[in-house]
Amino acid sequence: MGGKAILFLVIGFSTIFLIMEKNIGTASSRAVDNMTVYYTNMNVHDIAVSGANVGANQIFLDPTWTAGFNNVSFEGGSYTVSVDIINSFTNTRRITSIGYYDGYSDTVQVTLQPSSFSKFAYYSAFEGTSTIYWVTGDTVWGPLHTQDKLTINGDPVFNGKVTTKKKVIITGYSNPQFNGGYQNGVDMPIPGDGAANLKAMADNGGADFSGHDTVYVTFAGDTIKYKYSYNSAYTSALGSTLAPNGTIFASGAVLRLQGTVKGKYSIGASQETKTVTTTYTNKRGKTKTKTTTSTIGGDIYLDGDIVYNTNPQTDPNSTDLLGIVAQNNVLIADNSANKGNINIQASVYSETGGFGAENYATRSLDGSINLYGGIINQNRQPVGTFTTHGSKTIMVSGFLKNYRYDNRFMVASPPGFPTTGHFEIVSWYE
Amino acid sequence: MGYSTLLDILGSILIGGLIMLILFRLNASATSNLYNNTSEANVQSAMISVGTVLEHDFRKIGYCKDWTKIPDPTKAILFADTSSIKFLTDINNNGSVDTLYYYLGPTSELSNTPNPRDRLLYRVVNGETPKSSNVGITKFKLIYFDSFGNTLATPVTPPGQIQKMQIDLQVENPEPIDSTYVVAFWRQLRLTARNLQNR
Repeated sequence: MGGKAILFLVIGFSTIFLIMEKNIGTASSRAVDNMTVYYTNMNVHDIAVSGANVGANQIFLDPTWTAGFNNVSFEGGSYTVSVDIINSFTNTRRITSIGYYDGYSDTVQVTLQPSSFSKFAYYSAFEGTSTIYWVTGDTVWGPLHTQDKLTINGDPVFNGKVTTKKKVIITGYSNPQFNGGYQNGVDMPIPGDGAANLKAMADNGGADFSGHDTVYVTFAGDTIKYKYSYNSAYTSALGSTLAPNGTIFASGAVLRLQGTVKGKYSIGASQETKTVTTTYTNKRGKTKTKTTTSTIGGDIYLDGDIVYNTNPQTDPNSTDLLGIVAQNNVLIADNSANKGNINIQASVYSETGGFGAENYATRSLDGSINLYGGIINQNRQPVGTFTTHGSKTIMVSGFLKNYRYDNRFMVASPPGFPTTGHFEIVSWYE
Repeated sequence: MGYSTLLDILGSILIGGLIMLILFRLNASATSNLYNNTSEANVQSAMISVGTVLEHDFRKIGYCKDWTKIPDPTKAILFADTSSIKFLTDINNNGSVDTLYYYLGPTSELSNTPNPRDRLLYRVVNGETPKSSNVGITKFKLIYFDSFGNTLATPVTPPGQIQKMQIDLQVENPEPIDSTYVVAFWRQLRLTARNLQNR
């Protein structure tokens, strides 16, 4: 009797334990399942991200690449990458990468658009033959890139993203602030055909003033005035009639520029090599020919203020936009109009030269350069000279710098403004 | 009934009693194990759920379907502190910019639970009513790094310096088991929001 009861008791408890053990096992396997699902999701996500990176790299190597990849094995799964042109006018492209792993899938979308030099607040290919330091008091408000070393002595402030091809050299107890981040090893050479491409665009729907040594252009709101010599009278034309696509160019000429810009324009100048053959009679009475070759043009002189009709500093909805593109230098003219401050609202591009002041060392002490836009130049150029008395810096000639970045250049670019030839990632969805 | 029968009965009672004692002890142990394992699974499940939401949201810092609305990624993080962060994103992927704010509430908000350390992690979209649920979060710590990998002092000023961040998350069960709390810890080391590095 007692033996049977114990037997029933043991069987009963065993049944209860079996059920409990099953529950314990279920709880344990649920915990493992959680981790497995999490791991699988991470893995499939990483595969999709890898596919997007491979696709972006392919576009970097070949900007015309749209073939995509189909079912590429990777890390135990696979990815498929497609490239779509989502806006043919702006040439905006989208990479869609779908990763597959263990029955799961994940999608990453990357949007790219052509990268324009106008997005830079400051760009230089060379930071000068002798070391030009970024020092305390220097503040850059937008993206900065240099192909050279960035040499710092003091506490400059970089509010936008800083990229360099070479390294950053920080001397002594300097404490620079990279408020927008920093990345080195970024190779983004200034192109050799930026001005030429603008000329090609001006030849096809814009205005190209060719055959003149000097071209004077003054923007006057809706009207653009131009002439070919200092003493001659201006010819006026509606901007929309003169340059419907917004590009104006002076081939083989020096361009002298000023005025108030209404609308979106890029204006440029290129140099040309001219061969002149002259005929003369020598001492023996024989007729001879002499051929001389000279290079002229390609510089742009700012004869006075060049500003927007609607000031974007006070009205952020301003749609006025200007790109100044010189094959050589963009210089602030040493003239009476520039005695004092000069106001420049534009993105300034100098393909083989730089942005500077004419006769910077011998001109008078003029005032400040109030630049609202950006500077893209091959070589960093001086705009004045200074001396120091103890800890004080005293300007001797030229201008002080008051540069501010026009944030609209982050999303907008003047027509035909030189591009880097590559795409840049503007949006990453994952 | 002889002595041998009496001895059998006493013996079987003794052995039966011993077996019952063993079974009761086994029962208590199995119940405790079951409770422990279930608690661990629950805590782990809660942690993975929170971690997944955090990863989903933090990866989209600075993202907008219409990228021209957040053209400068350095301005995407509005505020960054040790246990709170506010940033611009596009939660619904519909092209409109949203503001997302995460912050950790005080322990006093959950004083009715036995766990003295659990708090509410709030997720606030566009300044709407803060939303949260008690999943036993006891730690939500953010560490920020600049481009050079240096740890940034908090609150980070200006937040544009942030290139990477580390998220520490700890979840505990609200009720202790034998006076101890089940703990699950999750760390996303150096999470990089890709949109912070655009352009």
